[in-house]
Amino acid sequence: MSEQAVTFSPMPYRRTWQAVKFLTPLLLLVVLWQLIVTLFNVNPRIFPDVPTVVRAGWGTIADGSLISHVGASLWRVSVGTFIGIVTAVPLGIAMGVSRGVSDFLSPLLRFFSVLAGIAWIPIATLWFGYGFGAITFVIFNAVFFIVAYNTLLGVSTIPMPLRHAAASLGVSRWQMLTHVLLPGALPNIVTGIRTGMGFAWRGLIAAEMIATNVGLGYMLFLARDFYRTEVIVFAMIVIGIIWLVLDRLLLAPLERSTIERWGMVQRS
Amino acid sequence: MKSLALENLSKTYFDPYRGTQFTAVKDVSLNVEEGDFVAVVGPSGCGKSTILNMIAGFVPITSGRILVGGREVKGPGPDRGVVFQSFALFPWKTVSENVTFGPKMRGVGKAERAKIAEEYLALAGLSHAADRYPNELSGGMQQRVGVVRALANNPDVLLMDEPFASVDAQTRMTLQEELTRIWEERRPTIVFITHDVSEAVFLANKVVVLSKGNVLEQVDIPLSRPRSWDRLVEDDDFKALSNQVLQLVRSA
Repeated sequence: MSEQAVTFSPMPYRRTWQAVKFLTPLLLLVVLWQLIVTLFNVNPRIFPDVPTVVRAGWGTIADGSLISHVGASLWRVSVGTFIGIVTAVPLGIAMGVSRGVSDFLSPLLRFFSVLAGIAWIPIATLWFGYGFGAITFVIFNAVFFIVAYNTLLGVSTIPMPLRHAAASLGVSRWQMLTHVLLPGALPNIVTGIRTGMGFAWRGLIAAEMIATNVGLGYMLFLARDFYRTEVIVFAMIVIGIIWLVLDRLLLAPLERSTIERWGMVQRS
Repeated sequence: MKSLALENLSKTYFDPYRGTQFTAVKDVSLNVEEGDFVAVVGPSGCGKSTILNMIAGFVPITSGRILVGGREVKGPGPDRGVVFQSFALFPWKTVSENVTFGPKMRGVGKAERAKIAEEYLALAGLSHAADRYPNELSGGMQQRVGVVRALANNPDVLLMDEPFASVDAQTRMTLQEELTRIWEERRPTIVFITHDVSEAVFLANKVVVLSKGNVLEQVDIPLSRPRSWDRLVEDDDFKALSNQVLQLVRSA
């Protein structure tokens, strides 16, 4: 056997293997689903079979409703997350600079990050009415407190010698912020964004069931009103897939690249 | 480079566990001439790190003064470069970005910084590692970067806080020899903190022995330069001086 025959580039192989490992259980679940529905002759109102769901899915794609629901949901998540990040990061850094302030505010941030998300829906609808404002506010809440807390954590765990080194090399206060505190906290910030968006996505679906007339959550809720179980199941699958794609193809690599490249340990 | 003077320097901490005052440094006066190489040794708890932290401006002084080139210092500043035991390199910056960090903060342009990086990486024998990140380097290489990062910022005084304590013994000897070579070439004013007596004697022109926050004795080290371990390890003067300092430290 020649040497060339057994050598292969390990990276693409590993990626494919990872993908196979990830997708196999999901595909098995689909097979199991179809088997059970067929074997037990399940009422389609209770749970439809795979082809029915695929047809329903195709219908929502063909009439353009899926794209408008997905678009509305993604837009809200993007806006809410963006506002959450740009407000939470400066606040987290400002708090992290002072040990006293950070000790004082940590419990508050932790409290609100547990509360963040769907618990805000009722009051959000009172403040903003039904629609974009209330839902974006819920997303913002889910992201804001977790990112602020993680930023604070990131800044306060930057080793003291790094700050001392920067001070001895002559940084100004502003340079300390931009060249030491912000990059030093970045791995935690990214972790915060990833966790926060996870909560935001769940909160979004819940908020859309209550507070709007477009979006994936609304799609679910509407389908229930018309007893269209196949659309409900399809929408649930879409919700899960979008999150997995977002998380695994965007957020996880982002997190990994900041942490691994700099050889920093994830600290939260 | 400039001279460094400590005048009646004291540091008192409040010990929250005992509820009492603890004096870490008591009335220390010390002169370091411009271009001199002074090592400070003493058992742990003798106040040597506290003194360095006060000179660097990381901890406030309780009483006394610190003068660099005749000017009193307050707080950290680029006139006093520091080399840390933990290296303290910025993990998100490459080796050359670390080395030129100080100049960049001062507003030195890109072309000039490239020259500085080239010069100091060559000095540290790290030209090949310019674009690597600190975590890709061994401890010894990281501390070489730490040393030239401080030097590249042109400090008046170089403060070194047990800089070679966290590398392995062989690497440590190499780094010590390289530091003496750099000192002979450029004559920076160095204050070197260590608990390792032979390291202090090998490197410095003068060894200051501390005891309980006080200067116990100053020992001149008239060994010829360049110094290398191959030569000094068998050298009777080196052995005698090391022994003398060791006795002082043990009595401290």
